[in-house]
Amino acid sequence: MSHDNPLQHPEVQVASGRGYLLTFLVSTLLMGVALFLVTSHSVAPFGLMLALSLCAGLAVIVQIYFLMHMDLSEAQIWNTFALVLTIPLFILAIGLTAWMFQELYQRTMVMLPGMPGMLH
Amino acid sequence: MSSSTSKAIDPSSVELWDHSHHHHDVLSTRTFGFWLYMLSDAMIFALLFAAWGVLSYSHSFAGGPIPADFVKPGYAFLQTLALFGSVLAYGFTMVALKNGNKAGVISGLWGALILGAAFLALDINDVVHLLDAGITPQRSGGLSAFFILTQTHALHILFGLLWMLVMLVQVSRFGFTTEVVGRMLTLRLFWHFQAVIWVFVFVFVYLRGMLI
Repeated sequence: MSHDNPLQHPEVQVASGRGYLLTFLVSTLLMGVALFLVTSHSVAPFGLMLALSLCAGLAVIVQIYFLMHMDLSEAQIWNTFALVLTIPLFILAIGLTAWMFQELYQRTMVMLPGMPGMLH
Repeated sequence: MSSSTSKAIDPSSVELWDHSHHHHDVLSTRTFGFWLYMLSDAMIFALLFAAWGVLSYSHSFAGGPIPADFVKPGYAFLQTLALFGSVLAYGFTMVALKNGNKAGVISGLWGALILGAAFLALDINDVVHLLDAGITPQRSGGLSAFFILTQTHALHILFGLLWMLVMLVQVSRFGFTTEVVGRMLTLRLFWHFQAVIWVFVFVFVYLRGMLI
């Protein structure tokens, strides 16, 4: 597969102004919604964390698809594959650490003031 | 198949190696390699987020200032606008590159550079004010985790800005060679990935900080 003109390469040709503009608008809107939810104090903490995570998750999915161009096309599939294989590592690294420390705190620092107010 | 196997092979003249010149797909290979690097870089962020997760309980702040006292979500939203704007400007830079528009690439890079610098200036201003107020990394484990996570992201932004300066010089001096286009593509991955990381920093550090 030779490309005499590097600008004809699929990695260059995948650029899309409309996709980038859409990503900007959607992710800015979602971050605005998240900001409003936190500052307006209108949702209880647990529901709030759920709503915040939803905003972050949606914004990231839009960015991964329209900005990073992760899809199943021939030019991009290996990038997508690498990402899909790395996501479990993120989940294990963060999830197991959070779980272990939560258990540890509960077993070792029960008497500590402020613990009942924990939001985890 | 039968025709090729029935042909007698002369060992003295057989070609063992394929000497013909093959073009490697340099741009795809480099982009993929850099993407693997970005994912390993993201593992650093995963570990910093894990550290923040376990050091953001109310007892993690050792009786000192807690995030609800000092995080300013509205201010962090300004940073969000600056960074997303910079990422959008770099997106338009890539559209100009696709169209072979050199002036468009140069002005797009300047736009991304200026907005990225605005993000960094907002961050530095925030950090200086926190340090002045005695909110320092050494005050508590929670604050250490807060500073290391947010400032590791800021450090990435700094290196992205330096890289953009280099690309401004290289695009105007060398034009759209395979080398330069390859660097524009890897910088695109680097810069756009910073927006993804920022979504998590904004939501799980600055916004969630309001609830701790």
